[in-house]
Amino acid sequence: MSDLDGGGLDTVTLTIDGVEVTVPKGTRVIEAAERTGVVVPRYCYHPGIPTRPAQCRMCLVEIEGQPKLQPSCVLEAQDGMSILTASETAEKARQSVIEFLLVNHPLDCPICDAAGQCMLQDYAYVTTQLKSRVDEPKTVMGRDRIADDILYFADRCIICTRCVRFMRDVAEDDSLVVAQRGHKAYIDTFPGRDLDNPFQGNIVDVCPVGALVHEDFVFKARAWDMDATAGICPGCSTGCNVTIDTKENQIVRLKPRHNAEVNSYWMCDHGRKHLVMSNRGIRAEVPMIRDGDSLRATDWPTAIAWIAARIRQAGSNGGLGIASPNSSNENLFYFSRLLSRLGIDRWEYSVPQGSTASLPTVPRLELRADRAANGKGGELFGGTRVDAEAVPSPARAGETIVVLEDGLAEAPDGFGSEAGFFLYVGSRLPDAAREADAVLPIATFAEMDGTFTNFEGRVQRFHRALQAPGIARPAWMVLARVLAALDDLEPVSDVGAALDAMASATAAFAGMSWQGLGLKGALVGGDAAAVGAAPAEIDG
Amino acid sequence: MSWPHRHELETTTLLSRSQGDESARTLAGWVGTGGYERLRQAASMEPEAVTEIVKDSGLRGRGGAGFPTGLKWSFMPKDDGKPHYLCCNADESEPGAFKDREILRWTPHLLVEGCLIAAKAIRAEHVYIYVRGEFFPYTKILNAAVTEAYEGGYIGNDIMGTGWSCELTVHTGAGAYIAGEETGLMNSLMGNRAEPWMKPPFPAQAGAFGMPTTVNNVETIATVPGILEHGADWYRQWGTEKSPGTKLWCCSGHLAKPGNYELELGISLKDIIFDVCGGTPDGKKVKAVIPGGSSTAFLTGDELDCATCYEGMAEAGSSLGTASPIVMDEDTDIVVAMRRIAQFYAHESCGQCVQCREGTEWVVKILQRIEAGDGKLSDLDTLYELCEQMTGRTICVLADSVVFPLRSSMDKFRGEYEAKMRPSAVAVGG
Amino acid sequence: MTRRIHPSVVGAQPFQVATREGIESPMFEGGEGLERLEMALSRYPTKQAALLPLLHFVQEKKGWVSPPDMEEVATALDLTPAYVHSIVTFYTMYNKHPVGTYLVQVCTCIACHLNKGEEVLHRFLDEAGTREGETSEDGVFTVIEAECLGACGFATAVQINDEYFEDVSPEKVADIVGELRRRSV
Repeated sequence: MSDLDGGGLDTVTLTIDGVEVTVPKGTRVIEAAERTGVVVPRYCYHPGIPTRPAQCRMCLVEIEGQPKLQPSCVLEAQDGMSILTASETAEKARQSVIEFLLVNHPLDCPICDAAGQCMLQDYAYVTTQLKSRVDEPKTVMGRDRIADDILYFADRCIICTRCVRFMRDVAEDDSLVVAQRGHKAYIDTFPGRDLDNPFQGNIVDVCPVGALVHEDFVFKARAWDMDATAGICPGCSTGCNVTIDTKENQIVRLKPRHNAEVNSYWMCDHGRKHLVMSNRGIRAEVPMIRDGDSLRATDWPTAIAWIAARIRQAGSNGGLGIASPNSSNENLFYFSRLLSRLGIDRWEYSVPQGSTASLPTVPRLELRADRAANGKGGELFGGTRVDAEAVPSPARAGETIVVLEDGLAEAPDGFGSEAGFFLYVGSRLPDAAREADAVLPIATFAEMDGTFTNFEGRVQRFHRALQAPGIARPAWMVLARVLAALDDLEPVSDVGAALDAMASATAAFAGMSWQGLGLKGALVGGDAAAVGAAPAEIDG
Repeated sequence: MSWPHRHELETTTLLSRSQGDESARTLAGWVGTGGYERLRQAASMEPEAVTEIVKDSGLRGRGGAGFPTGLKWSFMPKDDGKPHYLCCNADESEPGAFKDREILRWTPHLLVEGCLIAAKAIRAEHVYIYVRGEFFPYTKILNAAVTEAYEGGYIGNDIMGTGWSCELTVHTGAGAYIAGEETGLMNSLMGNRAEPWMKPPFPAQAGAFGMPTTVNNVETIATVPGILEHGADWYRQWGTEKSPGTKLWCCSGHLAKPGNYELELGISLKDIIFDVCGGTPDGKKVKAVIPGGSSTAFLTGDELDCATCYEGMAEAGSSLGTASPIVMDEDTDIVVAMRRIAQFYAHESCGQCVQCREGTEWVVKILQRIEAGDGKLSDLDTLYELCEQMTGRTICVLADSVVFPLRSSMDKFRGEYEAKMRPSAVAVGG
Repeated sequence: MTRRIHPSVVGAQPFQVATREGIESPMFEGGEGLERLEMALSRYPTKQAALLPLLHFVQEKKGWVSPPDMEEVATALDLTPAYVHSIVTFYTMYNKHPVGTYLVQVCTCIACHLNKGEEVLHRFLDEAGTREGETSEDGVFTVIEAECLGACGFATAVQINDEYFEDVSPEKVADIVGELRRRSV
């Protein structure tokens, strides 16, 4: 980190497994070790949870010359300290923690969601603690529903208390506690009262084992069946960084991805769940052009040529644009480009609203009222924001209407029937779009690469996690083709080029590039050019 | 002195003068015999001066750890402007120990006086006496004494007209041995689970309510007034160089005269068991003794010729602990006794640390299986390894405390374990 | 009827008693409950430290601590009911269910084990006519096994409500039970 080199802060220098490292005073050994590439095994320690009870005893390390092992999560690094994280004593101690945990832990791996992504399995392998010498019957504890969508398997629990401390110390909601004591201890809520917190899903993420599981994920997918893709949650304008887990071309789970500037280690439950329905429904899969009373399916070249011809025919009479605030920056850029080519000087977008919820100790992380990923993009590309319930402004006869992804839910009957040319570009075909002259099928955010701009102007990359159905394509690609057919722009086939075009034409995005944004993003209007140098996150 | 039996060995009455005498419980009775004069003396001294006397006396903590008391007091900050607290540990729950309740029920004012003197030494503004929840009869006596003392001006504002003020609150627990651990006690006082915490922070830096705190055992504090009155040298006339003074012994198990005896430190354990306590009630041989409460190592009946001071007991391979010998006669089944001891620790584990939470219960289960005749030799190897894995790895020493008796019982009474094992297991060594 | 308690000992009142007066909800908004709450709060720098004293009060009045009681205590001290639940289940002396008039706790820890503690326990179960942890049908006795009561030299030690019975041999149990039955009438 840049503030380390060149002082200004007090620092200490210590040796970890023979490697010297300098860290700010007050740094704990477990974090100092990570700076040398050593990840000390741990359960109760979590970088996003401020309290450290040091009770799992997994992170014990040897201070050279001292017989007693110390927990590295709370041990403060001192000048001249020499730490051995993998000495014989430390490894034996770690192995014994695994042995003790496995005394009563049920052999649930075949039916446990955590298998393949379980810190108990992982460390059992790492410590080679794989044989049991337990001759006694295991304690059986049972299962409890502690929230309407979270199950707790008590005998899998290792009482690391990450869940308890997340709720109490991060969410400031003291509703999850350890009940009883000793070998009878288990995690519990107040009897008869379930957890009810908009961020409670995070306790499933922090659980190192399969003790806490989401009910809507249980038994759905094995860790090794899933692919993981870095994405941005489109649930609201915060833009939490997420990992999208997919299986057989369906989104099965969202988990938060760490970003210190946006969401820390967390995300809200609305974000986790609202995509559950996204796998369903009928999709627009092929381009369609009007043929009398109906829309006829066709191929891309035919559709693009037909549309270009109709546009030239319709002239630049002005008209109306409507776009969804869930469209990516690149999509909106090309959309607004097309509109100006058509002489349309106004376009609308509306952002659905919802209740808010904040995570008290992480001020930036809020479920925001704006329930869309890129309302800010709408603003930056010159859209007019209208009320979510507003009826779209009517087009005058003969005008052109271009709709990008909006569901047209408030559109009156016969919307677009007076238009000179009505182009619908979307992933689905709502009823109102059946009046369109042409329908171009596009990919959803999960099926393409792109960027969103969050509430504070942070431009963040998301990546393709699913295969789009049929021959649907990203809207920026499609609209760029239309413009190319109108002799306006070069066709664009990769998101990097799309972003470059967007950045050179739009002041807010000046200096940004796909490579430069990396996995942490950059603020609009900021020194994005400086971000242009590839940061460490890319390519590991 | 002793309670309830008398004996011939020379003893002192520093702590036990009033055992059996109910009049000492009352304020009038206490003041009538010179009580609270030591408090008056301390109130006008500098805190460091009080600490020096206790330091010079060599008094060591009587809660089991034996840490020098004066040294512990000297860790408290001198000039930090924060409220300081004294916690008096009356959570006596160690199996074998029953001395603190004797002090509570016969001389509660001695405890109050000692607490306030200690409070002066560490600049405390509030004393909390944490009594285990079960001690209702003795808490009632203490409560009456504290109430009288407050009403008589011996606690609270302007104590005895000296201008010094200090409050005192009696606070009872609700059933947890681990609340006897100093950080567990402070957590319980604050309304938390009685879970010990990692040190640092040490109590003298940030203890109860995050403020500098000292935790002392009842017997330790009860010794202080006498030391203040008569001086450090007087206290050193008893005991040894490293373990000066006297101790309230709690003798239990198979004894003719079990009970409380105040004896000077350093005399032979054999003398205590056979002369003072009269040996076993029916003349049976002594097979084993756990000398310092259940958290100490077994000694066989032939190993009792050791000096009952901290260093002497350590040399003998055990420890003084709370000076609470539990005597087992020749008919005792050591394996069953060890199983029962292990059950205590499994029941009392707070559950934070993996080794203690899982280990103590696993030890119980293995011992139960051996007791039922279903053990094998490799179980002993496993138990030895568990002993190693449960030592020095945890936040507090509850896990270590089951290791001391367990390991020593296997070292010294291995034959009893083997005798319970399946014949085939022993024959083929496995 | 509020008995006079000095504030310094408000957190140390006996809470395992045979006579349970009961108390109306809300417990801590007036009367004796409010007095006890305010007195307790005056002894500690934080509200949370008054938790054990308040739980003692509830059990003193009712004989056990129920979930609604936990909610009231939580409200009085600005804690969550879940937190109070964690405390009530951590400590063994808080009864999570109603108990008989006499809660008989027989120590069977090592010193009492050496002096026939288990036999004393079984005699109590027989004489009281109940199974371990359960209340006898006449509602008079609940008998449980206890860990060290701190009276080791006077084995076997038995705690019955707020009294200590010591040097209890198996032969003495019938008389003790008989005496308690007489008292309970």
